[in-house]
Amino acid sequence: MRYLSLKISLLLSLCFYSSYGLSEDNAIREQVKTRDFYNSDHFMIKAPEAEGSPSASGNAQNIDGIRIGAGDDKTGYETTGYETNSVAISARHGKKADLIRVLNEPPLGLPKIPIPVDNPMTVEKIDLGKKLFFDRRLSLNDTFSCAMCHIPEQGFSSHELEKAVGFEGRSNRRNAPTIYNTAYLERLFHDARETTLENQIWGPLLSRNEMAMTSMGQVIQKVKDMSDYDGMFEEAFDGKSVDIVNLGKALASYQRILVSGNSPFDKWYYGKETNAISDQAIRGFDLFKGKGQCIACHSVGQKTALFTDMKVHNTGLGFKRTMGKEPEKERMLIAPGTYAYVMKSKKAIVGHAPMPDVGVYEVTQDPDDRWKYRTPSLRNVALTAPYMHDGSMLSLAEVIDLYNQGGVLKNESGYPNVTQSPLITPLGLTENESEDLIAFLKTLNGDNISEVISDAFSTPVGDTISIN
Amino acid sequence: MNIKKFISKPLAVLAPFVAASVLATNPVMADETCMSPYMVKIVGQEDFVYVWTLGVEGLGDGQDKMVTVDVNPKSEHYGKVINSESVGGRNEAHHSGFTDDRKFLWAGGLDSNKIFIFDVHTDPAAPKLVKTIDDFVSKTGGVVGPHTTYALPGRMIVTGLSNNQDHGGRTALVEYTNGGEYIDTYWMPTDDNLQGAHKGGQFADGYGYDIRALPAKNVMLTSSFTGWSNYMMDFGAMLGDAEAMKRFGNTMVIWDLHTRKPKQVLDVPGAPLEIRCAWKPENNYCFTTTALTSQLVLLNEENDVWKATNVADVGNPADIPLPVDISINSSDTMLWVNTFLDGKTRGFDITDPHNPKQVYEKQIGNQVNMVSSSWDGKRLYYTTSLLGNWDKKAGDNDQFIKLYHWDGTEMTEQFAIDFQAEKLGRAHQMRFGAYSLYGKTAKVEQAKNNIVAMSK
Repeated sequence: MRYLSLKISLLLSLCFYSSYGLSEDNAIREQVKTRDFYNSDHFMIKAPEAEGSPSASGNAQNIDGIRIGAGDDKTGYETTGYETNSVAISARHGKKADLIRVLNEPPLGLPKIPIPVDNPMTVEKIDLGKKLFFDRRLSLNDTFSCAMCHIPEQGFSSHELEKAVGFEGRSNRRNAPTIYNTAYLERLFHDARETTLENQIWGPLLSRNEMAMTSMGQVIQKVKDMSDYDGMFEEAFDGKSVDIVNLGKALASYQRILVSGNSPFDKWYYGKETNAISDQAIRGFDLFKGKGQCIACHSVGQKTALFTDMKVHNTGLGFKRTMGKEPEKERMLIAPGTYAYVMKSKKAIVGHAPMPDVGVYEVTQDPDDRWKYRTPSLRNVALTAPYMHDGSMLSLAEVIDLYNQGGVLKNESGYPNVTQSPLITPLGLTENESEDLIAFLKTLNGDNISEVISDAFSTPVGDTISIN
Repeated sequence: MNIKKFISKPLAVLAPFVAASVLATNPVMADETCMSPYMVKIVGQEDFVYVWTLGVEGLGDGQDKMVTVDVNPKSEHYGKVINSESVGGRNEAHHSGFTDDRKFLWAGGLDSNKIFIFDVHTDPAAPKLVKTIDDFVSKTGGVVGPHTTYALPGRMIVTGLSNNQDHGGRTALVEYTNGGEYIDTYWMPTDDNLQGAHKGGQFADGYGYDIRALPAKNVMLTSSFTGWSNYMMDFGAMLGDAEAMKRFGNTMVIWDLHTRKPKQVLDVPGAPLEIRCAWKPENNYCFTTTALTSQLVLLNEENDVWKATNVADVGNPADIPLPVDISINSSDTMLWVNTFLDGKTRGFDITDPHNPKQVYEKQIGNQVNMVSSSWDGKRLYYTTSLLGNWDKKAGDNDQFIKLYHWDGTEMTEQFAIDFQAEKLGRAHQMRFGAYSLYGKTAKVEQAKNNIVAMSK
């Protein structure tokens, strides 16, 4: 049974190869000799191609007994050699951590956490915010918490979807961004429309296609009605019960404390530990600040590095998604290593048309802001696939390819992308140089990931408890 | 008290004998053919079809509801909706199943995770919602998406589709008493915890979907679909989401029926969905179809080891016709396979289960999902909805129940009810009801109803 899929692949190829003549896929077939077609529109990819396939889904690993990456790891699913690497839901347990310690001792490579004057950090607020963060009852039908999209072991993002899915399965236009190091961000959301973590929470809580609560008052009343919150707000906020201000403060406190640094890069660059990263990663950093020009937007300072300039840019991707033509047919995985083509016309019958997304323009109404999105930090970037504002790139290699080609300056009809950042130009990176860059990016994982995930796992998920 | 320890073992030991007894002493004449072997059977013509229906925002009351259709040709209301019991909210109504005594119908909501229990015996013409299990997720330790509600002696086994941690496909089986009291959760085997099961291939994904029991072999079989994020999202969006498309089940699990322990994990790539087992005592095999790879799969035991074998294509797999519901006939000679995307039903001759042959094909609508057959195989009911956000859009979104008569060579439509015109919603799973199950007769009950109606 172990190689059943492979055997089926070979058998089917024998059965069908001779029945179907050369087709429009002929060119591909000639290029990739290990590919077994069993008809013109449907084929399998054998295991040897795994080496060249994109490393999507996060490449799960276990550190200190904690799964980092999806518990349902799909690395290598693109080939028939895929084998599951799944962990039980019941294994998802952890230990409460002393998160607040980073307040006075920020990790190497990160600045002191900026704390709003009116929301000083306390353990009580962090614990309360954490409980709220994992509480699915904060949605209209008790099925959605913040953590359903910002999944701790998946980089506080989601490896399982390109674009987030919300209340009653409603579509969202963008990828769920990581919340690591959001404490330092001056603008929040991909379109930079929000200014503080305290205010930010109301976006997803009240959005019809996220948690779908119908009003601030409804949220507050719902929390008041949950007996397991009795006394918690009062304890955290000097005797005050839950209201729209302190609910925001509590959730912001938990998110703000999730800073992550002291990465191998930090140890090498700021800590001067010469062996902390590999020679390949060092070459990658040289490219990052040199030929690759990445550092122009993903800033690195003398004492600390946030790897973001806090600005918004048009990289070409948003333009392509909105102004480009959808292909007549798309290749689609239907089982490990098994693909089929889905026609655009067929997709249109079973799906709603994609929602337009014009980026920061939607906030400023300034045509110059069309298809601009906030520069994300690159810290923990290896843990937060898929990438870009729409999650459309499954691997870092794909992202580098976009920049290497100089973004997208025009669509298929020649319509120009006039707002593309002038910082994005063709780079001329070789394949080896791209690999060096990726090696560098993988050195940006913080040293507290397993601890933060374990702490998250120790928090009960809020679900409806019957009162009958 | 640990109810499972207190009750389960003695009943479990008796289970195969009870099943054999039921089958031997109640020769059935009419019933759907896909129910638990422990189920009390209808004798004679079914009187009602209960359609678990998804509410649609902006259509009628917008709520999920149990719709009752009168299907007795002798009734003056034949082919009409005679009752509708709304349950509140859109829960992603999906599947339903009777308790073994057939007095109660359990209907799950894949989104809200509620299980609605209807009394169908007090007045079979008007099922009444008598209990709602609203703590399924917290009670079970995080199982999401109650799907199949399957009768074992005195128990209901509920398959989950997802979990409350990542809304992915890892999930569990859950056991309840017939009264709706939670007993235990049995997680699907995963690589780090196979629970003693033998992983026969490359996959142990921990996913779930359908369940069936073969008491004579002391076996339960489960299949695997996908998690909440996929089954709730827009179908077109999902087809374009490369990560989402990796989150489908590729396994089936063979369980020990008595101990509820997994024994074997089989590779069945491409999302194996409905499981239907042969009825004859000597036929200890089952079938499933894979939704994405369009394979008809035989599950049988050879030398004490269960195996899964692709035995036929369903349509042209390259077209992804999306096999959905299947229905086996009571003589183990015919398997009906519906394909959602082309709206067809296909009849496979399964006389030789290793070599099924398609012998019939008919267009049912723009889309079709469920099929329920009478025990004699002469009446086939069809409904249309797959999932709220997977159904076709605009004019292709047929929503109906249709009855066809099958004479062995051809199908003839008898009636159709448009669930959109009736402002009911999306028609999903069907279960049959009959007065005869409860020692009642249609005439007497209808007379009673008329008296009640007149007194009002």
